Amino acid sequence: MYLPSLLRSLGRMGIRVLALASPLFLTGCDFFNAIWRMDGHQSTIVVAGPVARAQRDLFYVTCWVTLVIFIIVGAVLAYATIKFKARNAADEHAEPPEQGHGNPLVEISLIAASVFALVIIAIPTLKAIWYTYDVPEAEKANAYEVTATAYQWWFKFEYPGEPIENVGPLSTSNELVIPAGRPVHINLRTVDVIHSFWVPKLAGKVDMIPNRGNRLWLQADAPGYFWGQCAEYCGDSHAVMRFRVIALGKDDFNAWLAAQKATARTVTATAAAGQPRAQFAALKEWKRNEPGYTDKYDRPDLSPLDNWKQMQAPNPNEDAALIAQGRKLFQEKTCIGCHTIRGHEGVGITGPNLTHVGARTTIAAGLLENNPEQLARWIRHPDQVKPGNKMYNGGYIDVKTRKPNFTLTDADVTALVAYISSLK
Amino acid sequence: MDATVKSHFIGKDGESPARPLLLARPTATTGLMSWLTTVDHKRIGFLYGAFALFFFLVGGVEALLIRLQLMVPNNTLLTAEQYNTMFTMHGTTMIFLAVMPLSAAFFNFVMPLQIGARDVAFPRLNAFSLWTFVVGAIILNIGWFLPADRWGAPDGGWFGYSPLTSRTYIPKHSIDMWVMGLQLLGVASIAASLNFIVTIINMRAPGMTMMRLPVFVWMTLVTSFLIILSFPAITIALVEVMMDRLFGTNFFEASMGGMPILWQHLFWVFGHPEVYILILPAMGIISEILPTFSRKPLYGYPIVVFSGACIGFLGFAVWSHHMFTTGMGTVATAAFALATMAIAVPTGVKIFNWIGTLWGGHLQMRTPMMFALGFIWMFMIGGFSGVMHSAAPADAQQQDSYFVVAHFHYVLIGGSIFALLAGIHYWFPLIFGRRVSEFWGKLSFWIIFAGFNITFFPLHFVGLNGMPRRTFTYDGNMGWNAPNFIATIGALILGTGIAIYFAVMIYTYFKGEKVGRDPWDGRTLEWAIPNPPPEYNFAVIPNVHARDAFWYEKHHQAEIEKEKAELSKAEEAHGGIHMPFQSIWPFFTSCGILIAAIGIAVLDHDPRPGFWGWKVGTAILGGVIMFASIYIWSLEGNEGYHLHLDGEKGKGHCHDASPAKH
Repeated sequence: MYLPSLLRSLGRMGIRVLALASPLFLTGCDFFNAIWRMDGHQSTIVVAGPVARAQRDLFYVTCWVTLVIFIIVGAVLAYATIKFKARNAADEHAEPPEQGHGNPLVEISLIAASVFALVIIAIPTLKAIWYTYDVPEAEKANAYEVTATAYQWWFKFEYPGEPIENVGPLSTSNELVIPAGRPVHINLRTVDVIHSFWVPKLAGKVDMIPNRGNRLWLQADAPGYFWGQCAEYCGDSHAVMRFRVIALGKDDFNAWLAAQKATARTVTATAAAGQPRAQFAALKEWKRNEPGYTDKYDRPDLSPLDNWKQMQAPNPNEDAALIAQGRKLFQEKTCIGCHTIRGHEGVGITGPNLTHVGARTTIAAGLLENNPEQLARWIRHPDQVKPGNKMYNGGYIDVKTRKPNFTLTDADVTALVAYISSLK
Repeated sequence: MDATVKSHFIGKDGESPARPLLLARPTATTGLMSWLTTVDHKRIGFLYGAFALFFFLVGGVEALLIRLQLMVPNNTLLTAEQYNTMFTMHGTTMIFLAVMPLSAAFFNFVMPLQIGARDVAFPRLNAFSLWTFVVGAIILNIGWFLPADRWGAPDGGWFGYSPLTSRTYIPKHSIDMWVMGLQLLGVASIAASLNFIVTIINMRAPGMTMMRLPVFVWMTLVTSFLIILSFPAITIALVEVMMDRLFGTNFFEASMGGMPILWQHLFWVFGHPEVYILILPAMGIISEILPTFSRKPLYGYPIVVFSGACIGFLGFAVWSHHMFTTGMGTVATAAFALATMAIAVPTGVKIFNWIGTLWGGHLQMRTPMMFALGFIWMFMIGGFSGVMHSAAPADAQQQDSYFVVAHFHYVLIGGSIFALLAGIHYWFPLIFGRRVSEFWGKLSFWIIFAGFNITFFPLHFVGLNGMPRRTFTYDGNMGWNAPNFIATIGALILGTGIAIYFAVMIYTYFKGEKVGRDPWDGRTLEWAIPNPPPEYNFAVIPNVHARDAFWYEKHHQAEIEKEKAELSKAEEAHGGIHMPFQSIWPFFTSCGILIAAIGIAVLDHDPRPGFWGWKVGTAILGGVIMFASIYIWSLEGNEGYHLHLDGEKGKGHCHDASPAKH
């Protein structure tokens, strides 16, 4: 059934691999070094908070203890293999060795040694279980509370301590902003299947299970921008269910809260001072699964956190007319049924809250960079970016008949992109 | 029961009375019918092995597709859905259709020979286990050949976490087929295990006390108990999922107050013992190979046996270490962490004793020995990363990352598969009377060893670098490119090694060097008989005088020959060698189950009411066939015939009260 398409794909992939591998052979050394490197965006080794640090330090304990045992046992095994190996045919047919059955004293001392080694691991394990379970008593008063709710395949973040009058708690999606240097207590919820909340640099994962009130705590040492990802298989698009955590200093965090509590930004002709300009040159056709990121996160001159901060400011070259048209389309194409845009028409709660989506660095649950090209890609072909998602299945098409509910022209997409980008 | 008890029949069999057609016993010795009706443990073992190796290759192809997809970031070789299907079926296939039946093949073939028995206790039940296993495998895999929109192969993960497996999230029949397939494999495993337990308890040759059993037989016994105690848990869980999906009950439907966490507990109460079901037979094989090629008895036999049993018991007390991230609370987490660490002690003991076995021996570096030594090294690495997981807070970072993938592949490939490949090499001369070439055997070992490590060692690092498992794609800026690329190259090398291994096996089957009895200078009873073994196994049921029974025989030849002559006379006086009749009904029973399973799990819902719909009708038809076949099976009786080694075959029936009385 899959075979013909698979063979074609294999052929295409062969070409891709050759193209990718050729520079690798030139820089072979760097490449092989890269196998052992553990300093990526989701490293559990290069960490940025006390919880992840406790977990890493415990891992080091297990690592050292087992490494020492491995070296000792491995040396004995290697020695026995070499020393007692039959050298030749005569050796093999020599009189069989003594048919001994073992020595209880040796057995008992080896068992005792193993138990001792395990106690070395057990004590820090127990300490870390209690430490990582809940915010330490002394800091409880200082802890900040957030509720994370998982959906297939995105995250909603709510701030119970930041109510908005007549609305409920402040709500945002896919980018969790927390105060740095303060313990954050996160309630973990899900509305559908089991997901798992994992920001490796800040804390190990805890699952989000239906009908179960899980939680975790974490703390960022300093302001920063962190990568997170769902860590429990949750269906078709599990691999692309990602999110970000942004830790901010006290003042920045308060400023962010104030901005978020405001209703959606409305761009009028007078507000846009610059010359109206098209948002982007042309709509590009994207291949399935094509990378949705640029080198923005890996630039020496701009930290990811600074990049995030830049995203907070409105684009100076906004086209008010186009934005107004996008706002109208957002209503006509039934987007409002699923997405809340507080202060504008959107009221739905099935999809992410988009009130300030323009100020986020990513869209489609941490998958694509938030720029007009990627926004257009996401709006045009959500099914290719995130297979099985509800925006397409149920929004764009009727799930039963598989017929489209509406059509989007290129002009529509351009207007929608302009509107969504303006929601800073 | 005393295995020396003989049939009451004395003398040669007479003509059998005419019997109704349905109850006539088949006698084909060649051709398809001989295989479908066989009750010979060796033929059944061979069939288990053949099916297992076929599915091992299927699972291997699935694994290669997974690795090719992950070779480069943002790859498009597979779609998300195809990838999810691949990892679901790779896990399910390797565990239930490759490693377990391959172990069962050795249980069937080798265990009765090692205890000096002529067959298992219930030969027809044994055939039923085999065919039900085949039916389960068909149901699991049939989705590949059906339209993907409403069937397709299962894609809910081998662990099938609810509520993802509910009809709300996966409405396709793929999950029905997965549930039904596993259920049937459970039936097959439980029936086979009961058979092995009764065989080991009741059918040992005289003098084969429990503490003289070869360690492989001990591990068969422990594994069989693990199966009959752990499979009921998943049986219940699978019934509940099936009820949820077919009849709208709410065991796991979260929106109706069901508890998805319940599935995880039931699944892992089965799932963790399952891990030991996969590794204990491997340890048994290693415990046979190392003494043979060291020319020394196993070091610390009683403690190796005891630690095997201990692992079996502790295996039931650690299931929640698969659930450290489900928020169990501090005390439960601590208890399961400590229990998991405790299990490292009996496991370590085994490794120490294997090294003790090597110590002071004359090591003959044959291919099985290479695989066995490779096993010890790889299993040590897998064991140590297992200890790392037992530290629950550290595990919160490793759970569901590629670190875990690396860990359990070291245990399951470096452990189970290496041992099973060693076992195939080791017992090949016994099974087929031919020996695999040392050059090609060692070559395939080194390629497999290198490919395996190149594939899975880098995955430790990519896991610690935060790459989650079960993801069909990843971005190129996460620092995961190099390890993934290398791992895929390694997987291709590993695949090449496996291909060479099996090519050599097939070549050897047809053209390999013929060897006589006992080519390795073995220590256990299976080497006492000619190869390939005659259908009656032992011309004379031996008396066992020592732990390494055959080694003892070889070193006390005069005494043993005198004893055998007497035993032979006594046996002939009691009517000769008793053999069970063949039967087609276990096969037909399994066919009935297959039809019923297709009705329940595969056929689409039918608007017609009640019995007139295809779905219900087919299920009922299958059930009728199953019950009718079981009924006839019971009517045909547990009769057999007698063999006389002067060449004449008795044609009559003998009426024994129990099939155990051979």
